This record gives sequence, C-alpha cells and structure tokens, in this order.
Amino acid sequence: MTALASKQESDGKGYDRPPTPIGQFLRLTSTRVYLAVLALMAAFSFLGPFFVPSPINTDFPVLLPPQLGHPAGTDFLGRDFLAQLMVGGQVSLFVGLAVGVICLTLAVVVGGLAGFFGGFLDQALSKISEFFQVIPAIILALVAVSMLGANLPIVILILSLTMWPQVARIVRAECMRVSQLGYVESSKAAGFSPVRILWSDVLPNAFAPVLVATTMTVGRAILVESGLAFLGLGDADRPSWGALLNSAQSYIQTAWWLTLLPGFAIFVVVLSANMLGDRLNDSLNPSLSKVK
Amino acid sequence: MKLARIRYFARLAGSSLMLVFVVLLIMFVLLEVAPGDPIQALVGNMPVTDAFREQMTRAYGLDRSLAERFLAYLGNILTGNLGVSFANKEPVIDLIVDRLGNTMILMLPALVLSSVGGIVLGAIAARTRSRLLDGFISSVAVAGFSIPSFWLALLLIMLFSVTLGWLPSQGMNSFTKTGVSLQYLILPVLSLTMGELAFKTRIMRSSMIEVLGQDYIDTARSKGLSSFQILRKHGLLNSMLPMVSVIGYSLGFMLAGSVLVEKVFGWPGMGLLLYDSIKRSENLVVMGILLIATLIIVIVNILTEFVYEMVDPRIRARNKAARDGVAL
Repeated sequence: MTALASKQESDGKGYDRPPTPIGQFLRLTSTRVYLAVLALMAAFSFLGPFFVPSPINTDFPVLLPPQLGHPAGTDFLGRDFLAQLMVGGQVSLFVGLAVGVICLTLAVVVGGLAGFFGGFLDQALSKISEFFQVIPAIILALVAVSMLGANLPIVILILSLTMWPQVARIVRAECMRVSQLGYVESSKAAGFSPVRILWSDVLPNAFAPVLVATTMTVGRAILVESGLAFLGLGDADRPSWGALLNSAQSYIQTAWWLTLLPGFAIFVVVLSANMLGDRLNDSLNPSLSKVK
Repeated sequence: MKLARIRYFARLAGSSLMLVFVVLLIMFVLLEVAPGDPIQALVGNMPVTDAFREQMTRAYGLDRSLAERFLAYLGNILTGNLGVSFANKEPVIDLIVDRLGNTMILMLPALVLSSVGGIVLGAIAARTRSRLLDGFISSVAVAGFSIPSFWLALLLIMLFSVTLGWLPSQGMNSFTKTGVSLQYLILPVLSLTMGELAFKTRIMRSSMIEVLGQDYIDTARSKGLSSFQILRKHGLLNSMLPMVSVIGYSLGFMLAGSVLVEKVFGWPGMGLLLYDSIKRSENLVVMGILLIATLIIVIVNILTEFVYEMVDPRIRARNKAARDGVAL
C-alpha cells in the first residue's frame, strides 16, 4: 500500500488511479520470490561457471558424494558435477527462453491479425490450435527430433512450432475482446490504419494474459526438452539438465546426487514459471480466487 | 432432429479423419526430409552389393515417389496393413497390438486414479473455508505438474527400490512368471498419475468455484438446503462437466507421458516400443504407433463429445441451436 501511495505522489497526479493488473501482480511478495528464484537460477547457470572447475576437467576422484570441495559431488569420470549443472542450466534455460520468444512473436502476429480481422486466418488458426490441443506436443516433438536430428536449433524450432498455437489463441481472444472497446472504436473513427490500431491500441491492452500464457510456455518448453534429452534426443554437444539425468540412470543405485540435483533444478525453474503464470492469472481474473 | 444429430457427429468424425490424415502427412514429409538412409540402417555397417541394395529399395517401395508411397500407405492402412518391420520382419500392426495392452494396464489405473482424485481434491480445495488447506492443495497441484514425470519415476525408484527395497524397479513381472503383478505396477502408475492428478485438481477447483458463484446456488441456499446438499445436488455434477473433456484430452497426454515412464521402468508397452523403434530408425513402426495413438485420441474425443451431449442439456441445446442455425 505504501509503495502505491508513494508512487502516486511521485507521479504528481491528484486522483486515485486504480492499480493495473500487472502492477498488482508485481507487488505480490510471492511474485517477487518466484522472479528472484528464476534470476538466481539464471545467475547460477551463466555466472557460476566462472567460480568452479571446468566441467570437462577429469582430475578429481570419481563418484564423490557432495562435500566441501565439490558441493554437488563428481560424476563417473571424476568431473565436477556443480559445473555440469551450471552448463546444463544454460542449455535448459536458453531453450525455454528461445521457445518463449518465438512463440510470443508468432502468436502476436498470427493471433493478433486473426483476432482483429477474423476471416480465413482466424479459421486457419482455430484449426491449427485444435490440432495441437488434440495431438500431444511431446509425441510430435519426439518423432520430429528423432528424424530431423537432435541439435539445439531443431529442438527449439520444433518445440516452438508445437507450442505457439496455445499462446496465439489467447492473443486472438484478447484482441477480439479489446477490439469491442470504446477507444478502439474512436481510433477507427479517427481514421487510423488497422495495423496501427492493432499495434498501439489493441495489443498493449491485450498484453497481460498473453504474458501468462508465454510464461507457462517457457516452463513447458523446459519440461518437454528435458524429456527429449532424457531419452537421448537432446543436442549431444550441449547437454541440458535432462541429458544429465539420462547419464545418471546407470548410477542410480550408487550416486543419488547425479539423479536428484538436475531433476530438482528442472523442477524449481518450471515450478517458478508456472507459479508466476498462476499468480498473474489470479490478478487478471479475480473471479477465480475465492471471495468469502 | 435425429438426422441433424447424426449429421453433427458425422461432421465430427470427418474432421477427426482429417486430423489423422494430417498427422500421417506430416510424418511422411518428415521422413522425406530426414537425413539418413533406412536401407543403410537395415544392412548395418558392413557394405552390401549394389544389386542387393537396389533389390531392398524396391522391396520396400523406396524407389517410388513420395506421393505414390503415401497413397499406397493410405490404401494399406484401410486393409489394416501398416507394413512390415525392417528388423524382425514382423507385421507392424502385430508388434503394436502386442504392446498396446501393456500400456493400457498402466494407463487405465492412472486415468481412474487421477480423475477421481482430481475431482475429490479439487472439490475440497474449492469448498473448504480454510485458506491454508486450499492454498496447500493448489500449490501442491502446481508443483505436481511442474515435476518431470521421469524424474519423479527415478526418485520413486531410489526411495522404494534402492533404499527401502520394497518394490521392484524394472519390468512387469519376475522372469519366472507371465502377466503383471501388482507390486510391479505401483511405481509406474504413480509416476504417470501425478501430473494428471495435479492438472485435474486445478481444473476441478476453478470449475467448482465458478459453479458455486452461480445464482442457482444462492437460490438453493435460500431454500434452506444444507451446504452438503447443495454440493451434492447442484455443485458437484455441474462442476464436473469441464472434467469430461479434460479426461478425454488427458488420455493423449498420458499416452505421450507413457513413453518416458515406460523407458524408466523398462515397461514393455507401446511407449517403449516407440522409443526402441526411434533408436533403430524403424520408421514404419514409429509411423504405425503415431497412427494408432492418434486414432485412440480422436476416438476418445468423439466419445467425450457424445458423453457431453448426453449428460448436459445445456450442451445439447447449444449444439441443437448451432445445427438449426440459431444464435443462442
């Protein structure tokens, strides 16, 4: 509350502005916690390698349990496992982020145009998203990756292709809703071009739910990629957390840390992304949180 | 009106067939652009004479054009012929049918557990006055579908097989017996259930909160019904409606999830067959599994729609209005 009050004072505006859903969302403590967790995991993966031995250095004893010099232990060749977790995180997080950005871009273009103009594009979009709602993304991704070759660009491309329609559907629905609002009507009356109305009036106001969908897509992409990598269908040169789990399988009887830690990293990141999406959803649809 | 209804389901069946067709088409195009040579995969590393290679190419129809092969494949499907496996010369359909049952042994208990559990937990979360309990169930639910199913499976193995030694970690039964025994079933079913249970709990929760906010619930309350009666007579059935389609869709996701879970537990089902076939470049088997999986998903979706119409007069009215061309 105080944050809100001081912000209004600094705005120098005398009236009470209703808090925007995004503003409300960002003020939630839980939101900040999950954002902080994601930031931490990113720092761990991308800055961490500067502080640990090289992940390909095999100088250490093999299969050391976690201990002072090696907080995550070592693997079956005597490589420091903390360093591997960091490098694996780079791949997992990069895949999630890249898929998120591609899905968002495709969704905004196709969903926006479909929602605003309707017509053929709208029908095509609804058919495509229906298709991916029925056929599980992971089966298609599994088969496609195995045939086209398991490397990072292909994995990202295929995950994006199977996941963008869900985001696009939400962009479309939001654009249709916003297009009915008065200020869009007045922009039309003022003679602005449809593309300009779409870009400057419709999309910014349709943004929040789209952000929810994108956040969850990032989580799902990381999850599906880890599944593919676990099956040995990840990029062999760039092992993600899922790939670390794949090689850990043979040591499940002896080296618990090799299985526990990469999976936990996936879980924490995906959970944070889903929780963020969940909280954002709550601030956008107060009707779904209980009023007693 | 009967005729309109038949026409409605005929259209649904038509679009489902279209969907199967598109999946097969995508597969064929993928096969065409895929690097690697299936004949090479068949003969292995030792070279063979060019004559033999040509003979194999012809035998598997690989000398014909993509369109020709696609049409031939479609024609074969109609007669139940999905081709012959490269490796062991068995008909693909037999291979799949052998494994399908094992997958169902995992999926059906998981489907029932996750559906019943989801309805109960979701209803409790929506109905409870305790914010703590609701918050707990909701958070655990989000956690439940953030866990990679295969990691959960590995953790269960570490706990119950390696550390405690209570449950076996591989296969369907000990080598001396045939069939399935219950103790082999527990861990894989649990791994497959968790994500779906979490998802269904959330859907049920929000659906029930929405239903309990409706006017007819207020009416029921003002008539003096107890909250239990309201829940039983009005709340539960109405909020279970979205669950019908969720349960329908979840079958597809479980089929996909079973690849990972079967791999971890060495469960000889369709998912493991898909994995093995991918590793061995058995493209006809991969395609066959995709076809069968798509068919299952599509049929379940039609059934779902059918159940929907049967149980909910509102859906019936909406579909009827759509058929009669009336805007509702």
